[in-house]
Amino acid sequence: MSLIEIDNLSVTFRAQGRLVHAVEGVSLKVEECESYGLVGESGSGKSTILRAICGLAPVTGGTIRIAGQPLPSPRGPGFAAQVQMVFQDPYASLHPRHTIDRTLSEPLAIHGLRDSDARVVQALVDVGLPPGFRFRYPHQLSGGQRQRVAIARALMLQPKILLLDEPTSALDASVQAEVLNLLNRLRAERGLTFLMVSHDLSVIDHMCDRILVMQHGKAVEELARADLAAARMTTSYARSLFEASADRMLAAP
Amino acid sequence: MSLLDIKNLRVTFDTETGPVQAVRGVSFSLNRERLGIVGESGSGKTMTGRAVLRLIRPPGRIEADRMTFDGQDLMAASERDMRALRGKRIGMIMQDPKFSLNPVMTVGRQLTEGLRLRDGLGRADASAKALAALKAVQIRDPERVMGAYPHELSGGMGQRVMIAMMLIPEPDLLIADEPTSALDVTVQAEVLSILDNLVRDRNMSLIFISHDLRLVARFCDRVLVMYKGRIVEEVAAGKLLEAQHPYTRGLLNCLPRIGGPREPLPGLDRTGAWAE
Repeated sequence: MSLIEIDNLSVTFRAQGRLVHAVEGVSLKVEECESYGLVGESGSGKSTILRAICGLAPVTGGTIRIAGQPLPSPRGPGFAAQVQMVFQDPYASLHPRHTIDRTLSEPLAIHGLRDSDARVVQALVDVGLPPGFRFRYPHQLSGGQRQRVAIARALMLQPKILLLDEPTSALDASVQAEVLNLLNRLRAERGLTFLMVSHDLSVIDHMCDRILVMQHGKAVEELARADLAAARMTTSYARSLFEASADRMLAAP
Repeated sequence: MSLLDIKNLRVTFDTETGPVQAVRGVSFSLNRERLGIVGESGSGKTMTGRAVLRLIRPPGRIEADRMTFDGQDLMAASERDMRALRGKRIGMIMQDPKFSLNPVMTVGRQLTEGLRLRDGLGRADASAKALAALKAVQIRDPERVMGAYPHELSGGMGQRVMIAMMLIPEPDLLIADEPTSALDVTVQAEVLSILDNLVRDRNMSLIFISHDLRLVARFCDRVLVMYKGRIVEEVAAGKLLEAQHPYTRGLLNCLPRIGGPREPLPGLDRTGAWAE
């Protein structure tokens, strides 16, 4: 049994009386402790899949199971303790008028966990931030530091699964490297399972064991990491994405 | 004589906590070539680009020992002279079409505005020229795009509209400030090759500002690497991989590579004397 099982998922939005099929019949399985990547251009439905898992998108067909259990609707506290999300833009995903302390202790209060003092300090240390940052506001932090706070918040309830929606695309290359290293370290230490979305193939390749290439809401091709590195893709779309990746530009001037 | 000649350019902002120098003594000259400026956020690359057009608002100040464009002293030029240069001789493509196009004006009106006011063209001539410009950036359905508002276009289309707008007056120098960082990789490659062809065909000079070393290496002849307002290294784009400076090497090494090792990515070491 896989930890995340998505079977024939469809998400349809209604926009101005018109139906928009954001995700059409996508199936995927993620094993425990695996890191799984979703790649594609904007509008390919990759982020919508993460939102559908969290109950933030109108699912019109198919099933999502976590550890064999179908998800309740609304998701409820049990789900939040198991699955957490890290969003793309740390400038937009942290409350601008809450201190870091308040942001991090809120999930503890909701779930009735004690010891919030020690847990908040430990969470900051775990993501490599000095405990002195606890009473700062988001605008007093840099982009990389904010993303660390967002990761710390996602880990407050010690979930098994992290959904990562382009966690580094708003960051500089050197800061991206630090955040990717942090995510890899946390995954190894805590045995986390990642479902990660990115448009950058080289980032996905660095982070993930298996990759699903998506286009126009449909799954195009699933690739193991070794197949990507060796350019063994069978569909032309996956190949064009590979060819256009910035990484290749440096290799072939 | 070079087209653009800059010596010891400084951009200073007076803040409550004292003056902050965003650009600290940048010198370079530019001929008919494609020059890349790379650096992280806050390195002063955008400010350098804007300073050339004197587009820095107070409390920002621009100072330079010399800044000339085609023999004309940009530091001494009046605001009126600068207006004659902006767009017509030196064009600038901004980063994000969502924020740089007027949201309440159709694309057609924005494209023809300059042609009608600056060049005094009639309505029909101006729109014919705008249509041709949209075709040049490979927009498939230019008539529809002319009548559309910016929110009705995708990011890639919006970026092409901005490129078309800047290319209409055929400037001698084009400053492209992160022209593709808001776009998807596949669209990015397409937009860049359009830009590249246009710059070649019209024999323009290009200053390409980006945080992505790999893109710059592909589309420029020469690369300036900036850190904290200074140029730390200048390299020929083809020899970027052989760059010597620890900062440039650090920037190159911290990028993940397809098929690369799974070890932690090396961070940037900012301890050298250059990091002051």
